[in-house]
Amino acid sequence: MNNKSDILVGIDLAKTYGELAVVKGVSLAVRKGEFISLVGKSGCGKTTLLSLLSGLEHPTHGQAFLNGKEITATSEDELALFRRENVGFVFQSFNLIPTLSAWENVALPLFPIKMSEAERRRRATELLDQMELAHRLEHLPATLSGGEKQRVAIARALVNHPKIVFADEPTGNLDKATGDAIMAILNELHRKQGMTMLMVTHEPELTKTADRVLRMQDGELLS
Amino acid sequence: MNLRYVFKELTHQKRRTVISVLGLSIGIALFVILNALSMAYHEAARAPLKEVGADITVQRPGNVPQELAGAVFPCSAVTIDEDETEDIKAIPGIRGMGRAVLLWIFDPNRAWIVLGIEQDNPIGPSLLKNFLNEGRYFATGKPEALVETAYARQFGIRLGDQINVAGRSYPVVGLIDASHASKIAVANLYLPLAEAQSIAAASKNLQTVSPFAGDDVNLLFIRADQDRITTVAASVKAILGEKATVATPESFLKLLGSLFALSDKFTLAASLIALIMAILIAFKTMAGNVTERAREIGVMKAVGWTQRNVKMQFLAESVIQGFIAGLLGLLIAQAAAFALGFMTVDIPIPWEMSPTPHFLPGGGDPLFKTLRLPAHIPWSLAAFALLLSVIIGGLTGALLSGHISKIKPSEVLRHE
Repeated sequence: MNNKSDILVGIDLAKTYGELAVVKGVSLAVRKGEFISLVGKSGCGKTTLLSLLSGLEHPTHGQAFLNGKEITATSEDELALFRRENVGFVFQSFNLIPTLSAWENVALPLFPIKMSEAERRRRATELLDQMELAHRLEHLPATLSGGEKQRVAIARALVNHPKIVFADEPTGNLDKATGDAIMAILNELHRKQGMTMLMVTHEPELTKTADRVLRMQDGELLS
Repeated sequence: MNLRYVFKELTHQKRRTVISVLGLSIGIALFVILNALSMAYHEAARAPLKEVGADITVQRPGNVPQELAGAVFPCSAVTIDEDETEDIKAIPGIRGMGRAVLLWIFDPNRAWIVLGIEQDNPIGPSLLKNFLNEGRYFATGKPEALVETAYARQFGIRLGDQINVAGRSYPVVGLIDASHASKIAVANLYLPLAEAQSIAAASKNLQTVSPFAGDDVNLLFIRADQDRITTVAASVKAILGEKATVATPESFLKLLGSLFALSDKFTLAASLIALIMAILIAFKTMAGNVTERAREIGVMKAVGWTQRNVKMQFLAESVIQGFIAGLLGLLIAQAAAFALGFMTVDIPIPWEMSPTPHFLPGGGDPLFKTLRLPAHIPWSLAAFALLLSVIIGGLTGALLSGHISKIKPSEVLRHE
């Protein structure tokens, strides 16, 4: 399981909240460039597993390695710096900063980095252009449609050239047509740029294009 | 810290920013106004003495003259002899001294209030030359007289007239309108000090009550180091006796009886309450801000902001809000100080310092020095208030660091 081409490895990961075991001894490996769909019913522990694998949360037990670095025994700040350089996130509710314009939201991960304002803007603009949002650079999230917001969120996930993108129900708040468009973008990222992706979803339809589908039930992986 | 982000937060969340800034600015404005008001009362209390160029006036009460005829001393100001004057002059902290002789002269046809002044000494009544409205001031060494304008009008005295006082003749060289001057050390006839001393020394009636030699005086005007006024006043009393009337700005302040003037502790306590209220309002608003923005903080951390990055961002927001609140508070305080400047304040002059005999018409009326409240905000107070506001902003931001640290991205971003 622990192969050189594995970019993400989880070993016997467990997470409990008091008496409640949410993730129970999950082991998995994701190869570089792989598109993994993690499916399961609501409340089965998918999002918690994604948090453990992305370093957003520390496990109660077990280890996780991302890009060769153990992320389970690392301080909060070290993890933040690690995420800044290696990880991109796409959330169901977009999680854009309401007071920042589209390009500023995309540049958010770059704000703490010593970099000129012009360079931040250039990188954000380039990505928004790829997302066909060049005309929306200065718009606030409140003035964007759901699909546009998610495209801004995808651009933000890519701005730091991550090794892996974690997407948590990326189409959950979108209508079918818009959701399909967002999936097309994610698939293209995977296909054309070889981006490694771990996507949590409860919609079987969305797993069709994945290289591998992992099913979760009651905190455990089924396959 | 990203200033663009700070600016966007402050300008887009207008309601939140306005409440936070307004709350803090009102506290700062109250702090500044209370202190400016206290300083204004202190300054107002200095006004009567300032007009005679002194920080302290000294006189010694004595006995009532047996007969009101010829030259006498008011019972509130009898002889301070030359030796005592020299002893006082030697008190540490004294920077200069002026002397004068105040006399009541009862001539057969007229009563004079006479003030003998050191004509070229800037400390003491020589400042009255600023109130000269006709003629000229004394020429050095000449026995000349200046007459109070209203008194001259009442008795038909004109410039150039020769007047007879206590059997001596003086040409009137100037008319003085001291109605707007301080009510202390004023008279209706001004003579060079040597002339008044000579009249006093020659008066048998005066000598029986208070022996007076040619170089003695009965009024002293002292300029002292500001931080040593109280100790100088105490030393003067030690020389002249506890009954001596030693007037200082502090004694005028006590007579003023204002709540602000009465106690600096009141100002301090009220300022502290205003500041504590400001801090609480600022903290409550900014704490609400952090709670409201928990999800945003979660996103920041998720995309790679360290705890320090996030804290610095919020700290910058609260410091800038503190700075804006400080400026606004100063503007409010400046407007209030401007309005307070239209208020008048009556500084009571103690009867002992009144030159007018109480048995003459109007002599028993309470005396006041009326002036506009000199309310202004000194640069030092403004700079301190602004710094304080920034510190409160920073402190609030720092206190919220704990809240920010506890926010875990996995918890706040857990959707849905």
